[in-house]
Amino acid sequence: MKLNLLDRLDKLQAPLNVLVAVLIGFIIGTGLMLVEGHNIGEAYTALFNGAFSGRFNFGGTLERFVPLLLSGLAFAISSKASVFNVGVEGQLYFGAMAAAYFGYTIVGLPSFLHITLVLLLAGLAGALWALIPGFLRAAYRVNEVCTTIMLNYVAIYFTSYIVNHLFKNPHIGVPQTPNIQESARLARILMPSRANIGVYIALGIVLFFIWLMDYTTLGYKIKTVGLNPQFATYAGFQARSIMVGAMVLSGFIGGITGAIQVLGIHGYFLDNFSKSLGFDGIMVALLARNNLKVLPFVAFFLAALKSGAVGMERFTGIPRELIGIMEAVIILFAAAEAIIVIRRRLSYQKGGAEVV
Amino acid sequence: MEPIVKMTGIVKQFPNVLALKGVDFSVEKGEVHSLVGENGAGKSTLMNILYGVLQPDLGEIYVRGQKQVIHSVRDAMHLGIGMVHQEFMLAPSMTVVENIILGFEPNRRSVVDYDAAAEKIRALSEEYGLAIRPESRIIDNSVGEAQRVEIIKALYRGAEVLILDEPTAVLTPQETEDLFKVIRSLKEHGKTVIFISHKLQEVLAISDRITVMRDGRVQGTLLASEATKEKIATLMVGREVFLNIKAPEGKRGGVVLDVQGVSARGRRRLSDLKNVSFQVHAGEILGIAGVDGNGQSELVEVLTGLRRVDQGDIFVSGTKITNLPPGEIRERGVSHIPEDRNRSGLCAELTVAENLVATKLKRPPLSKNGVIRGQAVRELASRLVEEYDIRPGDYRIPTRNLSGGNRQKVVVAREVSEDAQLLIAAHPTRGVDIGSIEFIRSILIAQREEGKAILLVSADLEEVLSLSDRIAVMYEGRIVGILPASEANEQVLGLMMAGGEYAKAQGEEEKVVEA
Repeated sequence: MKLNLLDRLDKLQAPLNVLVAVLIGFIIGTGLMLVEGHNIGEAYTALFNGAFSGRFNFGGTLERFVPLLLSGLAFAISSKASVFNVGVEGQLYFGAMAAAYFGYTIVGLPSFLHITLVLLLAGLAGALWALIPGFLRAAYRVNEVCTTIMLNYVAIYFTSYIVNHLFKNPHIGVPQTPNIQESARLARILMPSRANIGVYIALGIVLFFIWLMDYTTLGYKIKTVGLNPQFATYAGFQARSIMVGAMVLSGFIGGITGAIQVLGIHGYFLDNFSKSLGFDGIMVALLARNNLKVLPFVAFFLAALKSGAVGMERFTGIPRELIGIMEAVIILFAAAEAIIVIRRRLSYQKGGAEVV
Repeated sequence: MEPIVKMTGIVKQFPNVLALKGVDFSVEKGEVHSLVGENGAGKSTLMNILYGVLQPDLGEIYVRGQKQVIHSVRDAMHLGIGMVHQEFMLAPSMTVVENIILGFEPNRRSVVDYDAAAEKIRALSEEYGLAIRPESRIIDNSVGEAQRVEIIKALYRGAEVLILDEPTAVLTPQETEDLFKVIRSLKEHGKTVIFISHKLQEVLAISDRITVMRDGRVQGTLLASEATKEKIATLMVGREVFLNIKAPEGKRGGVVLDVQGVSARGRRRLSDLKNVSFQVHAGEILGIAGVDGNGQSELVEVLTGLRRVDQGDIFVSGTKITNLPPGEIRERGVSHIPEDRNRSGLCAELTVAENLVATKLKRPPLSKNGVIRGQAVRELASRLVEEYDIRPGDYRIPTRNLSGGNRQKVVVAREVSEDAQLLIAAHPTRGVDIGSIEFIRSILIAQREEGKAILLVSADLEEVLSLSDRIAVMYEGRIVGILPASEANEQVLGLMMAGGEYAKAQGEEEKVVEA
């Protein structure tokens, strides 16, 4: 019975720690505002309104929510298998480019089919891009963190080359692709914001992966390989292929993340459009501890902060970077705490390996 | 006379278990005092408290009649208490001398005085009959030698009371006999030895007195001269036990496992597999005896696909399985209880149910088209938990909350329920409580009765002798002989485990008898 109690505490500990990190973030943010001589009440009111009040502001939150959620999911899925896909950003660029291309070139399909097809092709583009580091890791033990980071640059500059030279909208001075077909566009919600039905698609994808991890043999294998690769091999799973598989799944989600930005927000691929949407996902996954059920809440919270920061800046003149500092503090504390948890686990396994 | 060490009312609480529930324990100067009990009875905890590694929550410690608070290992050493742990605390790439003096180097004008150290060590080694090679590196020493180094290290630091934590677990019977000579010589020189073990025969052979612990309490202290194995075992378990189940000769069937001239690279050079050949028949238990690290682990790994075979072939029921991946070997009718349940055999974070179904999940009825059928998983898990008496009986808790014995039962339940033709059991009862040992052994016998072929690897000779139909002995990656269990005894096996041929071993035994 004692054990169960400890387990329950263990489960509670994670969210509690995140809450503490958030609290510290707000305290430090508030401190900075005070030092700068701002009115705290006004600032937080503006922050809240900027995130939630009215269709436009709430829409802005949802618009930011989607890429945070999906790129967070992408990073979390690979982490489940102990593979760290820092290349979501690059996969997202490839997915976005594929979406822009197929959204423009495929003509005459009904909207539903066109969107589905484009999303799948974009996912595939991201997946293929993720296959490279996955394969290198499995076959030659090349550290995937290094390769994915480096491949991000390749992806960003390669798509930049495409949009500048091969597939550019000739009527506009900026490097962007031609507009996609109407049939590929994701319907807007909460006009006049740019929020769109990508929200539902993203939530659907998260639900699907929650199901995949909990109720399929593939999910079980990914989980097992991540927790104890030696056991996975012993039990007869192909640990390496599963690691590659997790990487590819992660890249697939990364690709779709990019596609939704193109289909739902811009309507075309714009050179260098992401500005680290893929990296933000790492932060989301970290805060959620790769727990898929927690991801949406974390993503929503961060989206609201980002969206509120814009409103706050507009109405109070407090620079939105201040919220950026708050985010950084939160991440820092959450990450530091995560390290403590992991070390405790390790010492537990080494020391009192067996409870008697 | 005043006891040299007296511990009274020792209580120790760990985060989720009360490890010691008020223990009184005292040792006379100059005696060999054994501390026996199942795993988890609290022996090691008690000794770690005496050695300053752990602090008691309640209770008092008296050394030579003086009340002491032992804060650290250094305090213990100042009081003349030394301990040789089960896992040696030696730096492998340093020499014997360097290891012994580490932290206690004799100085001469702030330069380490190796000559003085070597001199002192040599004197200790001669005095107690501890044969060592002072200039050799630990890495080149055998386990027995390393153990002697540990003992000298303790003596060098001035130990009067020497705690030996399961010292025979890693030794051959002959090495054990050597160790006993050392212990007797220590006793002659007035040293006090606390000997921790669960091998009752050894305990009876070496001790003056025996203290039995169970469940964090002392069950009694006996004079060795008045104790019997049965008496001790009953105190240890709290009921009568039957460990030496010898089933009647089984009906031996056709060849299931056929290993033909297999060679493979080992973890160390000594454990390279060199041209290993043998067969295991249906309805037979073939025991593999040997000192740990002579290629047994490597043998199990090549058989289960976890290590590459360089030469030779392996057949299971006529199908070649050489160098197939582990999953495919399993599909061809091989199940495997691995030697290290915590690293290979289980995933501690997963629940009991998830661990129980790991190898069966991809097949119906547990999954269909890759989708897990929760109902079927729960049914199987609850059936296995009940059948194999896995405690606590809740299959939804993480496996890490289980005791060693129950974790092993999870592994055994999963592997035996595979219903494979060949069961490979590597050290199936190592580090497991007596109750579970009894249970696991009876399962192996039952499997044999069902006509399964069983390869049993164990460092525990008693286990190999009582369960096997035939026994193969491994030494330095070779099989030095295979003999029927009826012709085997500890003496013969011990000589073979040290590299002797079967015939020669027999000859020497006869000589012993003649003498």
